[in-house]
Amino acid sequence: MLSFKNITKVFQCKGREVRALNEVSFEVKEGEFVSFVGKSGAGKTTLAKILIAEYRPTSGRVVFQGEDIHSLHPADLQKLRRKIGVVYQDYKLLCDKTVQENLEYILQILGASDESIETDVLKVLGIVGLEEKLDMFPLELSGGEQQRLAIARALIHRPELIIADEPTGNLDPYNTYEVVNLLTKIHQMGTTVLLFTHNKEIINSLKKRVLTLEEGKIIRDDPKGKFLL
Amino acid sequence: MLFVRHSDFVIKYFTSIIMLLTFKRVLKFGWQGFYRSKALTAQVVFILFVLVFTTTFLFLFNEFSNFLISQTQEKVDISVYFKQNVEEAKVLEIKNELEGIVDKVKKVDYVSREEAQNIFILKHQNDPTYLEALEQVSDNPFFSSLNISAFSPDHYKYIADFFEVAPLVDLVEKVSYNRNKLVIERLFAVISNIKKAGLGLTIFFALLASLITFNTIKLSIFSLKREITTRKLVGADNWFIRGPFLAQAVLYVLTSLIVFDVLFISLVLFLNSQLRPLLLDFDLLNSLVIQKGIILGLMQLGFALAVALISSWFAVRKYLKI
Repeated sequence: MLSFKNITKVFQCKGREVRALNEVSFEVKEGEFVSFVGKSGAGKTTLAKILIAEYRPTSGRVVFQGEDIHSLHPADLQKLRRKIGVVYQDYKLLCDKTVQENLEYILQILGASDESIETDVLKVLGIVGLEEKLDMFPLELSGGEQQRLAIARALIHRPELIIADEPTGNLDPYNTYEVVNLLTKIHQMGTTVLLFTHNKEIINSLKKRVLTLEEGKIIRDDPKGKFLL
Repeated sequence: MLFVRHSDFVIKYFTSIIMLLTFKRVLKFGWQGFYRSKALTAQVVFILFVLVFTTTFLFLFNEFSNFLISQTQEKVDISVYFKQNVEEAKVLEIKNELEGIVDKVKKVDYVSREEAQNIFILKHQNDPTYLEALEQVSDNPFFSSLNISAFSPDHYKYIADFFEVAPLVDLVEKVSYNRNKLVIERLFAVISNIKKAGLGLTIFFALLASLITFNTIKLSIFSLKREITTRKLVGADNWFIRGPFLAQAVLYVLTSLIVFDVLFISLVLFLNSQLRPLLLDFDLLNSLVIQKGIILGLMQLGFALAVALISSWFAVRKYLKI
């Protein structure tokens, strides 16, 4: 379903080269749950951003469903992005839209009818427990609620792939557990999930495949799901 | 074959339904952006108000200078005085000949010696000195004359030269153009310079107002930079992102136009009679609202729309490259 082939990403920072990713290669099969772990600065977020073409790699290829995502026509890239649901570390919610509108927006992009949008939005809001807050704006929500809204947005259009970049980064243990539970449920429904985190407890409780990143390189690919850093 | 045609029709039908739905949503988002960000809306509407004001002022300046020019041009003419022995029939023959020069001569008025005398008497009826002096002269001392108006200031020289050649030169006592030549030429040079300066000012102020509007809209969109990139990252097409900003720009323009025109028309209605003497009898209400209201409105709308839409287009484009 997804393959990273020799991905290198170099940033120019004050005339100095910073190598965020160095010849990273791996493959993810359809329906897999893969966690990417590593300390801060290991390259997890850069990897996630290359995956959704927010960043272009300096060299290498990312192939998603047989297509090199960085050589796609802009219109085709947008179509591809609609197949992916992303939970961003900083949520990236639309602050000028209400909770309901944030979710509606994703389905409106796909050209869904108003009736089906209403049904789906209410259903997903129920799953993440935000049905009481549909008229509120993101900035009126707590950190945990914003995180849950970001997850709801990532899954509302039933994407083939979900990328969750530090989805529990700002949450208390209770909400962390809720979010992980939610991602597990989504995975059980057949969706491929890529989880980027540095939370040891989560990784060890999931018991899924773990890729460990260190200084921009994959140093371990462990199918048994252990956080060994 | 029939099946293929049928499926083509179904695809086209659904495509047009989706396009309509998208268009409706774009308008809705535009409206939401307009009424939710009240402070931003007020700021952009105010700047567009200034742009519309500048457009209107420039239109007014152009109309007023045209009014002054036409008023001045109407007051300028050439008077050709004929010798006393020239018969009326001959003068009328020359008048006909002049009226035949249709591309240059606008109007020719004949004033006979008797009419000239009557005009003089009427003008000085309260001044016995002039009337007594006239009585002292036994014969009518006035000349018959032709007052000639031209279409353009450039034509006066042509008309003056017309009387410089034989046999007309022997019939003419004097031509007022030669006496006033310098004044007439200077007057038209001044008018021409006013027109040029007006055009220069128009371009300068229009550019200035456009730049201010462009920067205000750019800043207002800059504040939504993060939202725009997010929309792009979740898979929205460029039109779905850009459309609401364009719809919002149209709403800004319409609001500023309505506010401005309501104020402007009220002011003109209220102040027209007071301003008219100050503006050398220039009728603001008639010239700007009644006669040219539609042109002015279209000009305001066209200019403000062009500036607002172009600004929004370019400001959003910058953040779509992701």
